[in-house]
Order: sequence, then structure tokens, then C-alpha cells
Amino acid sequence: MTIKSKLKRNTLMIDASSCIGCHACMTACKLENDLPVGPRPIAAIQAGPLKTDSGLTAQYWPSACYHCDQPACVLACPTGAMQKREDGLVFSDLQLCIGCQTCAVACPFGHPLLNPATGKIAKCDGCLQRVDAGLSPACVLVCPTGALDHGSAQHVVQQRRMQEAVKTTKTFTPTQC
Amino acid sequence: MLETILLKRRPGSRKEHDQVVVACCQECTVGCELQAYIKDERIVDIQGDERHPISRGRLCARGIAFVQGLTAPERITLPGTRDRLSGPFEAFDNWEKGIDLLAERLRRVKDMHGAESLVIGCDPEAGLDFHLGAQRFARLWGTPHVFHPLQEAMDADLPADLRHPTMESTQWIRSGCLVLIEADLAVTHPVAFQRVLEAQRHGARIIAIDSRFTATLSKADLAVQIKPNKGNDLGLALTKMLLEEHCIDKPTAETKFNDFQGWMNTFAKLPMGNLTASVGLGADKISILARAMGRQQPATLITAKRLAFLPHYGIWSTMARVTGWHQKAGGGWYPLESGVPRLDPTIGLEEIEPAVKLQNTIAFPNYSSPSKQKYLDGLEIKALIGSGDCLGDFLAPLHNGINDLDLAVYFGSFPNRTRRAAHMVFPAALWAERDCLGFTNEGAVQWSPRIVKPGDACRSGLGFWMRLAQRFGWEDYFPWKKVNGLADQKAFFQWLFDKNPQTAGLQMDRIAQTEELVYWDREADRSTRSEPKLHAAPETVATPLSGEDPTAYPLDFQATRSATRTGDTGRWWPWARELEDEAGIRIHPRVAQALKIENGQTILVASENETIEGPAAVSRMVPPRLVWSLQRMQADHVLVYRKGQAPEEARDRLKAIEL
Repeated sequence: MTIKSKLKRNTLMIDASSCIGCHACMTACKLENDLPVGPRPIAAIQAGPLKTDSGLTAQYWPSACYHCDQPACVLACPTGAMQKREDGLVFSDLQLCIGCQTCAVACPFGHPLLNPATGKIAKCDGCLQRVDAGLSPACVLVCPTGALDHGSAQHVVQQRRMQEAVKTTKTFTPTQC
Repeated sequence: MLETILLKRRPGSRKEHDQVVVACCQECTVGCELQAYIKDERIVDIQGDERHPISRGRLCARGIAFVQGLTAPERITLPGTRDRLSGPFEAFDNWEKGIDLLAERLRRVKDMHGAESLVIGCDPEAGLDFHLGAQRFARLWGTPHVFHPLQEAMDADLPADLRHPTMESTQWIRSGCLVLIEADLAVTHPVAFQRVLEAQRHGARIIAIDSRFTATLSKADLAVQIKPNKGNDLGLALTKMLLEEHCIDKPTAETKFNDFQGWMNTFAKLPMGNLTASVGLGADKISILARAMGRQQPATLITAKRLAFLPHYGIWSTMARVTGWHQKAGGGWYPLESGVPRLDPTIGLEEIEPAVKLQNTIAFPNYSSPSKQKYLDGLEIKALIGSGDCLGDFLAPLHNGINDLDLAVYFGSFPNRTRRAAHMVFPAALWAERDCLGFTNEGAVQWSPRIVKPGDACRSGLGFWMRLAQRFGWEDYFPWKKVNGLADQKAFFQWLFDKNPQTAGLQMDRIAQTEELVYWDREADRSTRSEPKLHAAPETVATPLSGEDPTAYPLDFQATRSATRTGDTGRWWPWARELEDEAGIRIHPRVAQALKIENGQTILVASENETIEGPAAVSRMVPPRLVWSLQRMQADHVLVYRKGQAPEEARDRLKAIEL
């Protein structure tokens, strides 16, 4: 894969410093994928509160499939259900999935989980159906604090730079002086 | 204003649908707009509305998870009755038969015990129309006892500027400092919290003060933990410190306020030691807070609703005025849950005898308030009509005497403590199943049309009161009926708007159609209120609210709201249940270690009058002194021990550690 094609791949950017652990991403994902209690393709993980020298600290971290460059789950899947698309998204073809959970064992981050309602794997597929329809992933749209963003790697980095630039500009606006 | 969220958003739904309903989420008072995609009369997708000026397409977990409640198998969808509280409910063929029997039983109670023996509990989940309809019915019936957990500050005789935000949250971006007092905005109003983070990115300092280390505190520049429910006392201490640190422009204030010197003297006399003991914070830390507020002016004071039911609530308005913050962009006071105007639904009933005055100013929502119990002690209550889980929540003191009631009626959607104590049950439509009017925290009026039809015999709150009033010959006082016999919410609220000065001129059709925000007239409301006075410091601040023995019950107890559910209804959203164990009881690791409690082990929390049980959730989120749970308890002080452990042993072990 060339660097140029890598830059065009779908990317989910997580700004954990903005995450407040409100679980909106998770409920949006559940509704989008009609998931029951149990599997959470995206979840806000709370770390802390931990004691530090300057008091307590806590952090929230939205955790979803990393859509690895060389996904262990794809290599491990015995039926070829787990696949990686050209645009970078790793997904499970539910027609081929037999629910053996080999992918779950292979994944170093434990992301693929069994959907007890269907007996198949439930994993973040990067909302590929929405993306193919020209829509943003469900979790990205609802996030109240803008901790999630989606697009090509180039787009995400560029947008983040613009945000920082606007912030810097605003710091020097008359209202702040 | 420049937009900082520039990222390209591509909204919409991929789900097959035959209808899209644009509605306003009623789960909290932020007022987010959502688009519900419907297929065969079922919601298949929910998306935020990108055009909406408040939410701009964002939603929180509650604004999505409510869908699960609509189709939950546990829903109550038919009216029913039973003779014994332990027996099963016998369903009525139709709603009208149920109302006939209710009217007959109410009449019997009135004949035997008088009209004032009826109490009505209005949970916010039943809707504003249920509360307003209840007040109108109560006035006709002759009982003054109508209660709503968010009502007190609305009706109390407070200074004109005490209730309303001095500016909108869009102005927070101009603040020098945002001070959140016992307001866990990141949990209760996540979409509004985005504006706090936005202000922080623009240089505002975030100071968060709470009893627990909440999500809000985790994002703050200065996070301070105090004793539970002592926010107002901290307000007194901060004002005293601001005066001592010369952060208040005294010469200007002297010209603006009568007897400013006298007011200052009250603070000079108030001993700081008394305040620090009450708040649980040293004078040095209070000084740091006051200096931070004084340095980065103007400050915005964001206060939680529960502070409105505690003494010295007036200090926040006073602080914002004497510092002059309320006159600057980005400064002032922002009380949460205070955007509803004082609507009087009893207009036109002035001639009705007996001329009772509704007593809904009693501090019911403060769960352990002694005034509540005292108020109830003097009453002969024989009938209750309650919505939501009022008996498990703000009417909990009534639960103890439930066996003395001749009639308990539950108007709600799911099984709960109120239903367990009820003789009759009437199924309520959830907010997505009825037309509803909502007021945002900042006073914007929003119309939300019904998203889906309610199941079986579920009705709106207004429909309930309308039908009941009809049985007593009061249909002329409840004329808001559609051709199909259901309650006409639009006509009801238009009538109400026309009759009340703060809302006169508002047109329901315009509110329903416009994409702009429409606000009710705060100026008209101010003109009906008394001249604002400065809140003076007391000679001393009160000791704990209830008279429990602090040595026998050495830990503080607090129960607040959760991130994933608004109220009782949220208990029936499987996704919400999965995220937070409702029974979980948070204790500090130091307490857990002393009592030899493992994470997840069953523990008991005992107060003088009751005990709750649940798995221990060991976390530094609570300070060593505090026990926190989603389960309500009427107690401020408790003792924690393992199941099977002797309470005395736990007491001795706790004595040996520093709390």
C-alpha cells in the first residue's frame, strides 16, 4: 500500500482529553447496529480517579477497534469472514461468520465480541454501511463534546490543525484581552 | 462568533424508513432536537438535528437510549385495580371503566376524610401537562397538596433576579472563570457541558466543586471536594473571602445597594471556623478559590438544582450582583433547571369553594429535610395520586404510612415502588408518545410532537386529569379535547400562555414551526417579583439537616442522578442497566480496607430508619467520609458493613481510621 493510499483510508480520531464518559457513542452504536446487552463495539473506559501529587485525576478513553494494518483477527478467522477493506476498515462478514470467536482470542485488544442475539461476532466495522452511503459513523455524530472525528487521515489531521489555529486566533480576540 | 467545531459532519440515517419526526428530547432541560426515523410505526434510528442552535446535532446517551423504554416488555399498558396490595392487578376492559371506579373511590375518601386528605405527587417524567393539570384538578377538588420535585424555587417568593440565568450558555465562551457548584454537568447535561469545554479552550478557568470526584471535576482546572449538600455554605465562605481579599468593588457597591456596609458586617461577624467545619474545606483552600475567581473575572456561577432547597441559596445571586459579574458578558449566575416560567393553571377558578392555596412550596425534594416530615406529621393523608416513582423518591416519607392510605393510585409506565404500593394503576404515555411542551434551562419554549403512538391504553397526564374531572362535572374547566376524545395539548398550552403574563403573546403554531428559539418574557416575570435584596450572612451556619447521631453513623450518604438514565424510566433501558449497576454502592478504598470489603462484595448501608443493600464499588470517586449510591435513602449519615459483619465491629474499625 502506498503512502498516498494510506492517507485516504478511513480514520477514526479520538481526542480523549475531550471525552467525558457520557456513553453517547456506545448507545448510538447499539441503536445503529441493533445490538443487545453485552457487546460494545465502542465504549468509554474510565481510568481513575487515581491519586497524584497534585490531587486526584481521572481520564475517559473511548475504545474501539483500531482497524490494524495487519489485523490478527483477519489472519486467525477460519472461515474468511473477518476481512480488511481497501479503505482500511476491518469488518466481519456475518454471512460467513460462525461465531467461533477465534478472532476475539487473536485480537490483542479484545475488541471482537460475541453478539448473543445472533451468535455472530459484533465488532466496530467503522460504520461501513454508513460510510458507503456518504454518512459519518453514528458515534462520531452524537458525541456531545466532539471527542470523535472521522475521515481520511489527511482530512482528520488537517481539521485538527485548523481547530488549533482557530483556537489560537481566538485567544487574541479583543473579548479575551 | 467563530465556530471552533469545524470538522465536516455528514449526518443522516442509512436505515429504511417511511417517516421522519423532528422532536425535542425531554430527558433533561438542555433542549436538544432530534430526528426520529420511523418504519412501520417503530423508531429505527435517532439522529441529532444539525440545524438546531442548542445541540447542533449532538445527543447524549439518554437522548438515544429512551427508544428502548418504548418497547420494553415490562411496560404497563392497561389500567388495573386490586383490593389487596399483595394481590395481582385486575385489568379493565377500557380506560373509562377505570376512571369511573377511581372517581367513585375518590368520592368515598372525600366524604369520609375531607378534600384535603388527597395528595398528588407529580414526577417530571409524567410531563409538565400532568403537573399543571394536577394543580387545576386539586384547586377544583379542594386540596392544597400538590408536589413536584423541581417546584419549590419556582413558587417561592424570591427576588426577581434569583431564578433566571443572567445570560445564555453561549456566552460562557467570554467568561474568565466558570464555577460549577455541585453541578455535575458532564453527567446530567452532557451536551451543555460541551460549552464548558469550549470556554476552557478559550482561556476560561474551570473550577468544579462537588462532594465526589465527578466527570466534571476530572475536566476542571481546579477541582475541590466538599461535604455533600454544603454548596451554599461554601458560597457564604467565598463571599466572605472575596470581601476580605478586596475582590469586590466596595465604593461602587455602596452606591448601588441599600445598607451595603451593614450587609458586609454580617460577613465580618460570621466565624470562618464555623464555615470551614461545615463545608469540610480549610480556609487556605477557600482562599485559593476566591482568589482564582477574583483574578479571572467575570465569573459565571453554575449551581445545581438541589442547592435551591437548602438554606442560603440566595448567596449566589448576591455574589453575582455585588461583584458586578452579572452585568458583564460571560459573567453572572446560572442556576440549573430554572427555565420554566411560573405558570398558573388555576386561572378562572377564583370563585370555586373552598379557596385553597396550593402548598407546593414545601421542600419535598430534599430527601432528608426535617421540614418535610414535620409537614406530613400534621396531615391526615388518606389518598394519593402519584406519577413516576414518587414514593421511592420525593414523596418517600409517605411510603412509611402507605398502609394507612385508603386509596393509592399510580399513573406511570413501569413497575416501581409506587406501583407496588398502589390500589389502582393507570398507564402513562412516555414523552415520545405524546405531544409535549418543554422549557429549556435558558427559557426557550420548544414544542415536541408525538414520535410514535402510545401502546394500548396509555394516556397523557392532561388526558388523565381531563377524564377524571369529567366524572365530577368539571368538564367545562378542562375543555381541551380533540375530536377523537384525546387531550389537545396544543390548545391547553395556548390557553395557558394567553392567561399568564410571562407567556402572553407566545403562539403555539409559531413555536411549532419556527427553527429559531422562542423565549418566554423574563422581564414580565421580574416585574411581578419583589425588589431584590442582598443575602446577608447568618450568625452561624446550620449543623447537619437531620438529627442523626454522627458517632453511631459516622459516614455521610448521598444519592444523585446517573449518566445513563434521567429517572425511574431509565431503569428499563437495558443499555443503561448494562453500564451502571443501580444497586452499586460507592465507598472509598480506605473504608473498604478498614472493613475488609472486597470490590463487588455485598454490603449494607444502614441509617437510623432504613437499610439498603448492594455490591460494593470501591472507588476514589468518593472521599473516605462519603457513601454514594443511585439508590435513594432518607438519611444524611450512615454506617457501612459487610453482610454478616456486626455493625459494632464496623463502627469500631471506622473509628480507628482517618475519615
